[in-house]
Amino acid sequence: MELAKPFEMTQPAISQHLKVLEDAGLVIRLVKGGIEAMDQWLSMLRKALDKNYDRLDKVLADIEQHKKGETR
Amino acid sequence: MSKLTLKTEGDTHVVTRRFAAPPEAVYRAHTDPKLVQKWMLGPEGWTMPVCVCEAKPGGKIRYEWKNGKGRGFYLTGEFLELELFGRIVHVERMHLPDPTPDNHIETRFDADGTGTLMTMRMTLPDAQTRAAVLATGMEHGMEASYVRLEEII
Repeated sequence: MELAKPFEMTQPAISQHLKVLEDAGLVIRLVKGGIEAMDQWLSMLRKALDKNYDRLDKVLADIEQHKKGETR
Repeated sequence: MSKLTLKTEGDTHVVTRRFAAPPEAVYRAHTDPKLVQKWMLGPEGWTMPVCVCEAKPGGKIRYEWKNGKGRGFYLTGEFLELELFGRIVHVERMHLPDPTPDNHIETRFDADGTGTLMTMRMTLPDAQTRAAVLATGMEHGMEASYVRLEEII
C-alpha cells in the first residue's frame, strides 16, 4: 500500500511489478530477513545450550564420582 | 553428534536433552546455586560470579554473568512451581539493562533408563529481545551488529 502511493498505479499492479523484480532476484522480501534473524537466534541458542549441557554432563559426573567416594 | 533437540512450536521453544545421571541429580544441578554456577554460563569465556537460586514457590532467581572484558549482564526471576526431582516452573527476564519481557519456562526431568530425559519449554522471545540478547556479545560482535542491522531494515 505504502509503495503504491507515489505511483499512478493500483496496489495489485505494484504487487505484480514487485513479483517480477523478486523473481529476477532484484528485490528481496523483508520477511526473508526475519527468517534469517530467527535462524541466527536459534543457532546462538543451540550453541549456548550445547555448551551449558556439556558442562552439566561434567558436573553430574563429578556428583556421581563424589557419591561413589562416600559409599566406599 | 548432538544430544540436544531444539524445536519451535508456535510461540514456544521446546528443548530436549538426555543426561547420564538420574533425575534427582539433574534437578539438583538446576536448583543448587553452587552447581548452577558451574554450568549455566553460555559460550566459553563467561562466568557467573553471582548466583541466587531460592528453589521454592515465590523464591528469587538472580544470575549475573561477566566475560572478564568489562562486559556483563544479569537475569532475575521467580520460581512458580516445583515438584521435587520432577518439574520446575519459573519466569525470568534479562536486564540489558532494560528488562526483556518475562520468559515463562517449564523444565521437566523424566527418568530414562538409568539417566534422565530433560524437556524444557520456554517462551519464544520477540524480535527486539532476540536482537538485544545477541548484542550482549554472547555471540561474537560481527553477528550481533548484523542482527541489529536486520532489525533496523
